[in-house]
Amino acid sequence: MNKNTLRKRSALLLAALLTTTAALSGCGGGKSAGNVATGSGNTGNSGGSDEQVTITHYTIDSEDRTFIEKLIPDFEKEHPNIKVKVEKAPYEQFDSKLQTLIAGGKSPDVTSHYGYGGFAEYYNKDMLLDLTDLITEDGFKAEDYHIPDNLMKIYTVNNHTYGIPVNMYVTLMLYNKDMFDAAKLSYPPSDYEDKSWTFEKMVEEAKKMTVVSDDIAKTQYGVDFTWAERDMRPLYFGAEPYSEDTWTNGGVPSETYFDSPEVISAYQKLFDLVFKDKVSPTSEWSKSVAGQNGDPFVAGKIGMSIGGSWNLAGANDFPFKIGVAAVPWGGNDKVRSTLYVDPLLILKGSKHPKEAFEWIKFLMTTEVQEKSIELSGGNPPVNTEAAEAYYKHFDGIDPADVKKVYEGAVKYGYESYNHLITNYSQINDMFINELQPVETGHKTLEEVMPVIQNKVTEIIKR
Amino acid sequence: MSIVKAASTRVPSSRSHRRKADPVKIASFTALLVTTFLMLLPLFFMVSTSLKSKREMLKFPPTFLPESWAWSNYTEIFDKLQFGTLYKNSLIIGVLTVIGTLLSSALVAYGFARYRGRGNQLWFILLLSTMMLPYPAIMIPQFVLFSKMQWIDTFLPLVVPAFFGSAYNIFLLRQFFSTLPEELFDAGRIDGCGELRMWRTIALPLSAPALATVAIFAFIYSWNDLLTPVLYLSSSDKFTLPVGMASLTSSRFRIPPWHLLMVASVLAMVPIVTLFAIAQKQFVEGIVLTGIK
Repeated sequence: MNKNTLRKRSALLLAALLTTTAALSGCGGGKSAGNVATGSGNTGNSGGSDEQVTITHYTIDSEDRTFIEKLIPDFEKEHPNIKVKVEKAPYEQFDSKLQTLIAGGKSPDVTSHYGYGGFAEYYNKDMLLDLTDLITEDGFKAEDYHIPDNLMKIYTVNNHTYGIPVNMYVTLMLYNKDMFDAAKLSYPPSDYEDKSWTFEKMVEEAKKMTVVSDDIAKTQYGVDFTWAERDMRPLYFGAEPYSEDTWTNGGVPSETYFDSPEVISAYQKLFDLVFKDKVSPTSEWSKSVAGQNGDPFVAGKIGMSIGGSWNLAGANDFPFKIGVAAVPWGGNDKVRSTLYVDPLLILKGSKHPKEAFEWIKFLMTTEVQEKSIELSGGNPPVNTEAAEAYYKHFDGIDPADVKKVYEGAVKYGYESYNHLITNYSQINDMFINELQPVETGHKTLEEVMPVIQNKVTEIIKR
Repeated sequence: MSIVKAASTRVPSSRSHRRKADPVKIASFTALLVTTFLMLLPLFFMVSTSLKSKREMLKFPPTFLPESWAWSNYTEIFDKLQFGTLYKNSLIIGVLTVIGTLLSSALVAYGFARYRGRGNQLWFILLLSTMMLPYPAIMIPQFVLFSKMQWIDTFLPLVVPAFFGSAYNIFLLRQFFSTLPEELFDAGRIDGCGELRMWRTIALPLSAPALATVAIFAFIYSWNDLLTPVLYLSSSDKFTLPVGMASLTSSRFRIPPWHLLMVASVLAMVPIVTLFAIAQKQFVEGIVLTGIK
């Protein structure tokens, strides 16, 4: 081989390598979604002009979210210069599509943290538009839309508002009336002030309904206590796993206490339901009975189920009679329910924030919030006036009970960690994985919790 | 059981090859039968669930056959999902992807198999190394590119890349083209064929089995692909089948309508099964090919 061809060959190799690196650096080039969004933001547009603008509302592609499409004609009639387009993605792909849209310079205007990522994640990635100026300029007042003040505070960081609450899910207890009747038990109270309704009382009642049999079809359990995300559960018994400053520090806790004796004993009480009192199903049993639905309560195998109020939405289809009750008192005087408040957010990449805000205000009005309950098939509104219509939405359940349970939940409620702590999707995944051996009875909490403590600390630092 | 017993008692007395194989044959046949049954079970439940009512779908223990046959599920899916539109879109994209993949990959593979140029090996390794790139790594740059080309919310980003070949299929076809005897092409050359004509009239017809395999792969990939259509399509009337089906289980707050999802799955299987049935004939015919000389 002569020198010439050798040189040619190495030049070719070099060229090829360069091309590959150039192609690769397109993605590794370190432009985070947030940075791009900041760059393309153009907030100078005035909302009052007659210029025709189109805003995009990005949401989950499911009936309980895309119903907003049906509200658009009314809105466009009121605001002839604003067109609304709905962009959607399935739940699993929600985050990746949003990141891609923003990085690709096609940022939607309005969205919510509907995917795995929570508010804190969006906030820390600098994806959100500070709504404070818009709110002052517009004269927007939460009370005009019947939004309780404490809910407005959830998405306010250092006196800057980043989101307007739109839907509020709470934690409540659903019970299978048929199973209570069969065990000749009286129904649990819906009043949060009824002090006799405690965790211990719940376990007593659950024992009377639990039947463990070799015949899997006959087996049933008294209670399924899936209260909130796994990292949040100790709070129910009064043990705080994250330091106080989490809430003032943009969702970044300076300390966590997952290996403290209080937190471990709180978890122990919950696992005792399964392994000591045997009134709750193991996770394997739940999976085998409920299949992919993941909820054996729906299959009629559980007496009481503590979970999100979204479980109510399917209530009209359940093959048994159900009721709603207060979450029993577990030792914490303040916290007995988790609030899952979904806000509407404007992204920094929005080219028409004023028009986007008009759309958000429209969605918050009592009339539209009432309409949304029907259209979505039972989404709970934050608008307290529209909430009256929500309480009446469920067949066979006394509206007075739903109302009591909701009002008690708000009084004793605590905003869900998943919206407020940074890198939450990673924390949550880690919890699910690490607690798995405890849930199946292969490891003890004493073994697992120090590991979790280390991993949480690592994730928060990222 | 008596057959097995009879066969096994006979074995020691006989030394003949055939007899010795008998219990093994029976055992393997039984094993096959059991495996087949196990493999078909999920398929059976898919069809059975697709015919259950919403209430029955929630029941535990699950019923083996539907108590009342809810044939209406098969019409309900068309109201609920614009199933016809989704199906049509998926078919259009799938067929175009197959055409694109076959044309481009076969042409490139032919080049790699029949030419001995400088740097041949290097380019081939470079091509194969693109297989190492996971899709999420190129997702955003590709989106920016197609977005600049104004291709968002069209089928183009889903179809056009197929016309530029894919490493795996090129590799597969190159290996096949390499096995074709050189004499055939010499004969072609003597008859005055150009390279393109030899590709078309000699290489392609003889490679039906390999092409059929590539076609099936390409179609299945496109038919099942979820992420790319989710990224590039934004109007509901352009969505594909997987996007529509994913939306059925998208609600965090509702029990997914598994019965309808199973209806969709049963109907989604039809093109794949049909394609496989057609292509299988090609597989068998391809065997004849080895007898050339």
